Amino acid sequence: MSEDRIYESLLRNELRVVNSYIASKRKSLPDLLKEEYPHVLTLDGGVHMFRRSELLLAMEELGEESSRLMLPIYVELIPTQTITTAVVRDEVAVKLISRILGVESVSPLYVYPIQLMELRRRIGTLIQYVISPETINVPQESD
Amino acid sequence: MSQQILRLARPTKIEFIRLRRRLATARRLHKVLRDRLLILTQELISLYREAIERRSRIHEEVMRCETELMRTSSYTPPWVIEEFSNVRISTSSVVVGSRVVAGVRLPLLEYEAKTGEYEHGTYPLTLEEVGKCYEEVLREVLRLAEVEASIFEVGREVQRVRRKVNALENIIIPRLRSTIKYLRMKFEEREREDKIRRKRIKQILARKGVMLR
Repeated sequence: MSEDRIYESLLRNELRVVNSYIASKRKSLPDLLKEEYPHVLTLDGGVHMFRRSELLLAMEELGEESSRLMLPIYVELIPTQTITTAVVRDEVAVKLISRILGVESVSPLYVYPIQLMELRRRIGTLIQYVISPETINVPQESD
Repeated sequence: MSQQILRLARPTKIEFIRLRRRLATARRLHKVLRDRLLILTQELISLYREAIERRSRIHEEVMRCETELMRTSSYTPPWVIEEFSNVRISTSSVVVGSRVVAGVRLPLLEYEAKTGEYEHGTYPLTLEEVGKCYEEVLREVLRLAEVEASIFEVGREVQRVRRKVNALENIIIPRLRSTIKYLRMKFEEREREDKIRRKRIKQILARKGVMLR
C-alpha cells in the first residue's frame, strides 16, 4: 500500500470513528420517556442510552415545549476558534441549554468550555459532540 | 522535529504534486485527530473531577448512614431492623447500557429499585431514613463504578489518539514539508541551470552566425 493510500484510509477511519456515534434516527423526548430503556441506535449499529433522570430534568425545564425536543442534542464544535467553542443550533435545545446554564436564550447558542463541563455534568447523556465539517477543510499552505 | 526527507524514486513534478496532496491529507487528519483529542481530554478531566467528588460524597453518606443506624438500633430491636431490611425493597436491578462520547463507548449503569409493600408506620421513621440513606449510597457507588470505568476507557483512547497526533505533528508532516521544500529547490536549481544553458546556446549561436556572415 502506498503512503498516500495509508493516509487516506487513516483519515477515512478517523472520520468514520468521529461520526459513528451520531444517532441514525433522533427521537422526541416524550417518545423516549415512554420506552422502558430510553435509547437511540447509532450509525455504527451501537446503542446510546439516556439517563431517565436527565430526561425528566429536560421535561421539567421545557414544560409544553418538551414534545418538540429531539434527542440527542448535537453540540457542534468549532475548531477555528482558539478555545474549544461549541454551538447549538436547534431552537428547542437552545432553550433547554440556556435554562440549564442560566444564560440568555439566543439561537444559535455558543457554549464555552466551562459551560460545556456543566452541561456534561447535568445532561451528559442527552448531548453528543459533532465535529464540524469546517474541521476537514484545512486552508492550503502558502508556497 | 524530523528534518529528514522522504526517499524519492525521481524528483519530478508529478511526485511534487503527489506530495502536496499527501501533505493536505495529513494536515486534515491531524486537525480531526487534534479536535478529537481535545474533546477526549476535556471529558477525561471532567470524569476525574466527578470521580473525586463522588468518592468523597460516598464517604460522607456512609458515615451519616452508620450514625443513623447506630442511633436507631439503640431503641429498635435487631429483629425489627432485619425484618425491615427484608421488606423495604421488593426488587432491585441494575440497567447496564452504553453511551458514546467522541467515538468512545462508555458504560452506563442505572440502579432501579421497587419499594416493597408494607404499612406505613409499622417501622420507626428513623429506620426509613436509614433505608433511604443506604439506597442513596448504593446509587452513588454505581455511578462511581461507571465513572471509573469511563476514566479507563477515555484514558486509553486519549493515549492512542495522542500517539497518532504526535506522529503526524513531529514526523510525518515535517518530513513531507521538508521533502516538498527540497523538491522546490531542486526545480528552481534546474530552472536556473536551464536558463544559463539557454543563454550559453544563444551566445554560441550568435558567435556562429557572426562567423557564417
